[in-house]
Amino acid sequence: MRLRPPRRHLKNLVAEADQFRRRALFGFAVVLVALGGLAAWYFKLQVIEGEEYAQRAEANRIKPRPIVPGRGLIYDRKGRILADNVPAFRLDVVPDKAGDPKKLVAELGKIIALSPEDIAAFEKTRKATRSFRPVTLKLRISDDEAARFAVDRWRFPGVELVPYLNRRYPYGPLLAHVIGYVSRIDEKDLETMGETNAAYTHIGKTGIERYYEEVLRGRIGFERVETNVEGRAMRQMGVQPATPGADLRLSIDLDLQQAMVAAFGDLDGSAVAIDPRTGEILAMVSLPGYDPNLFVNGISHADYKSLIENPSRPLFNRNVLGGGPPGSTVKPLIGLAGLESGLRTPEFKVFSTGEFHIPGQRGRGWRDAHGGAGWTDLRKSIAASVNFYYYKLAYDMGIERFDSYMRQYGFGAPTGIDLVGERAGAVPSPQNKATYSKEPWYPGETVNAGIGQGSWVATTLQLVRGTAAIADGGLLRRPHLVAARRDGYQSPWLPLAQPEPVRISDNPANVRAVQEGMMGTMMPGGTGAAMARGASYAMAGKTGTAQKISRKGNVSFNPHLLPYHLRHQALFVGYAPAENPTIAVAVSVEHGGYGGTTAAPIARKIFDAWLLGKMPEPDPDAIPVAPPVVTAVTAAHAVAEPAR
Amino acid sequence: MNAILRWLSDLVARIVRTLDWPLCLALLALMVISLMVQYSAGNGSLRPVFAQGARFMVGGAAMWALSRLPAMRLRTWTPAIFALSMLPLVAVLFIGTGKHGHHWIDLKVFYFQPSELLKLSLPMMLAWYLHREPLPPRVHVVLIAGAMIALPTGLILLQPDFGTGMLVAVSGVFVLFLAGLSWWWIGAAAAGVAAAAPAAWFWWLKPYQKDRILTFLNPESDPLGTGWNIIQSKIAVGSGGWIGKGWGQGSQSRLDYLPEHTTDFIFAVLSEEFGWVGVAVVLSLYLFVIGRCLWIAAQARDTYSRVLAGALGLAMFVYVIVNGGMVSGLLPVVGVPMPLLSYGGTSAVSLLAGLGVVMAVRAHKPMHVR
Repeated sequence: MRLRPPRRHLKNLVAEADQFRRRALFGFAVVLVALGGLAAWYFKLQVIEGEEYAQRAEANRIKPRPIVPGRGLIYDRKGRILADNVPAFRLDVVPDKAGDPKKLVAELGKIIALSPEDIAAFEKTRKATRSFRPVTLKLRISDDEAARFAVDRWRFPGVELVPYLNRRYPYGPLLAHVIGYVSRIDEKDLETMGETNAAYTHIGKTGIERYYEEVLRGRIGFERVETNVEGRAMRQMGVQPATPGADLRLSIDLDLQQAMVAAFGDLDGSAVAIDPRTGEILAMVSLPGYDPNLFVNGISHADYKSLIENPSRPLFNRNVLGGGPPGSTVKPLIGLAGLESGLRTPEFKVFSTGEFHIPGQRGRGWRDAHGGAGWTDLRKSIAASVNFYYYKLAYDMGIERFDSYMRQYGFGAPTGIDLVGERAGAVPSPQNKATYSKEPWYPGETVNAGIGQGSWVATTLQLVRGTAAIADGGLLRRPHLVAARRDGYQSPWLPLAQPEPVRISDNPANVRAVQEGMMGTMMPGGTGAAMARGASYAMAGKTGTAQKISRKGNVSFNPHLLPYHLRHQALFVGYAPAENPTIAVAVSVEHGGYGGTTAAPIARKIFDAWLLGKMPEPDPDAIPVAPPVVTAVTAAHAVAEPAR
Repeated sequence: MNAILRWLSDLVARIVRTLDWPLCLALLALMVISLMVQYSAGNGSLRPVFAQGARFMVGGAAMWALSRLPAMRLRTWTPAIFALSMLPLVAVLFIGTGKHGHHWIDLKVFYFQPSELLKLSLPMMLAWYLHREPLPPRVHVVLIAGAMIALPTGLILLQPDFGTGMLVAVSGVFVLFLAGLSWWWIGAAAAGVAAAAPAAWFWWLKPYQKDRILTFLNPESDPLGTGWNIIQSKIAVGSGGWIGKGWGQGSQSRLDYLPEHTTDFIFAVLSEEFGWVGVAVVLSLYLFVIGRCLWIAAQARDTYSRVLAGALGLAMFVYVIVNGGMVSGLLPVVGVPMPLLSYGGTSAVSLLAGLGVVMAVRAHKPMHVR
């Protein structure tokens, strides 16, 4: 038995107090030294170097100013400029120097036309920016206005005419849905971009301009500029140059694009032409279009309203945002799925009676528009678009397998094109149905899916990709718009890397059979024969019609006699030349009636343009000037303001 | 008449008895300076002055109330206080608001920053834990104390608030230091921090925090963005000279060149307007406050009071050094307020409350000690 617990477990109060005093003293010594050191550091800044800092405070007129790099240019595949920058002047205000902003706007408004949009944008950015940073009040000052301002300049301290590069789209509506547009940076953009980037005034909002924003934008530089009392730049002190934005070369061919628009005439719709060997998009239109130039410096309310209220929805890119049932245009791919799954051989025949019944079910079945086609194999089923063949095929496959093959062929997922916000679309399946309906899946829906109807949603882009895959022997590629970039005018063009294509068929004979069926479409007896008449090259394709309303009873009717908005979507997919394809297209005409009568002729014109060089006359109003060589705007330019 | 006078003087004596007048005078001086600088930083507006004044009243009341509380009773309550202060720290992760994270809880009347509470409750908790153990602390005691520090610090870093997290951790470490933590531990911890720094850089710091550090190393690399603050603040400080440009005459602060000039950068305004003399006076006041805390701690008769009062004094030192260093370009910008000078409620109140605890230590010495 121990009388005392071990010593080290007892508190030794005297020792603790001593220990604390030593530590506290040490701590105080550290504090004393550190605060003394801090005081010495301040002494160095304030007393020893004070004079220098006082001068710098005085010289806070020497300010870093951003150097905004020129935005990268966009070319077509043959090197024609599709988006460039033109020098322009804007009016910047330094709120710190300019006094009461309300009075300023009122006074300036007397000599320069300020729209409500200009004033609203100015107010917004002004509140989000430090008061000594310039804020843009108006872009694209006219020569007249610049001259008038120059006379009255002395009355407006802190207001400056600043040169900048204004984005221009020489072809206007022709490429609106491909290139998109830039627009003024707003508060929200500023939050994500950070303060330094406020100097870029513009940012890509849609299309290529948005997808490649970071690439096109370049990197901001800055210079130290001495400003006078009014905040005007007087002298440059030092520069860190900006990195110009990269130029992009699209795979789009301007001539083909024009031919495509001309082929549509007055019709609304969309079309994509693609090089099946690479996935490069040769032309892509969504009609009607709009003029992207309207958006660059802030669109007026009137213009915007007319675009928004137009029932044809010109701002809507039908190729990537639109979509609906693909109709018969997916039959070649469904046929391929039949072969790949082993349920069919190319020679396998079904007897089309004109009406398909689910085994064990009685009553009315699924009809063929053209009545019974008799014995039908794969090739005939494509060429003559025999619904019966596909009703039975889909039924035999079952919806799960059907869905899985269609997904392999690229439906129900974005194609990965270099545009923002592409729609995924949908393939009919019980899982998909469960997301929008409480009803169970009916076998009849499987049958309906077999002819591209029902809850299918396919975009034109998905259709052209699938078609190109057949044309290219079973390789599914990523459709893309930008072929190459270069970092600066003197640099070489560097092709952009593309993902490896996905092989959708291991059996060339299967793909070949489908190809032959598509060639049959364009031959006498096929649904597209009229379109191919008189062509000097062979082509392959598939017509389609997507119903907007369902047929009631056994009534046959002429779709052209329906009210316009209820008319079917006319579709065509195809490629040419049939044996060595260099172009694949998908055409969708809204309210076009039958695919064979409206969509196919448009495709023929596109083929002719690409293969035979039959191009429409170029629009004389849309010829761009030589590219400006300006790569960046600096304050040095600002010193030399336009003379009166 | 005499009775009333006597009653009155008794009352006053009762009210002020527990206050430590040397400390109070120094704090009062700092508060007056704060209000003056807030006035000129606010470009002659009285609103921030009144708001800050109101906070000082609340903080002063808290200080007085705590100073009347016997330290022994505070000690008994400590675990409960610590537990209670952890609750809002967890809550802020879910319902908090803030620019770079969830720092504040919006109480409609004012914004409440729960992490500030820990600057007081964590040292209290550690002091409570250590006073029960023989000192210097043994290995397992140090490890448990380390866990006590890591828990709230980790939560604050989740917000994420690097500056406050660091300060809370440091205020805890000071308790251990004053309790006699072996120099070996201190050396090992310092080495550990140095080794962890590169890891923190790659996995832990947010891009904006890395920006701040990179810009600190080379402010000229981004003169339009983050570097701007450091450059302008340094110019403000340096241009103050010997005696400054005079109250309300600071061109840097008035012309809006200085960012956050009422909060984290208030010391730059003071430096510009009152020069090195002003800086020296304020630093001396802080030195006095810290020294007084340590002196009071040394007089205390129990471990709890001792290490707590000492740690609170040393914690204040860290704020002063970090803030003074960051506004003058000596240290990276980490968002640490200058005690009492900076505009902000929770910080001022928790600081004054902490000093109230120190005063309680001076006023109520336990009869029998453990």
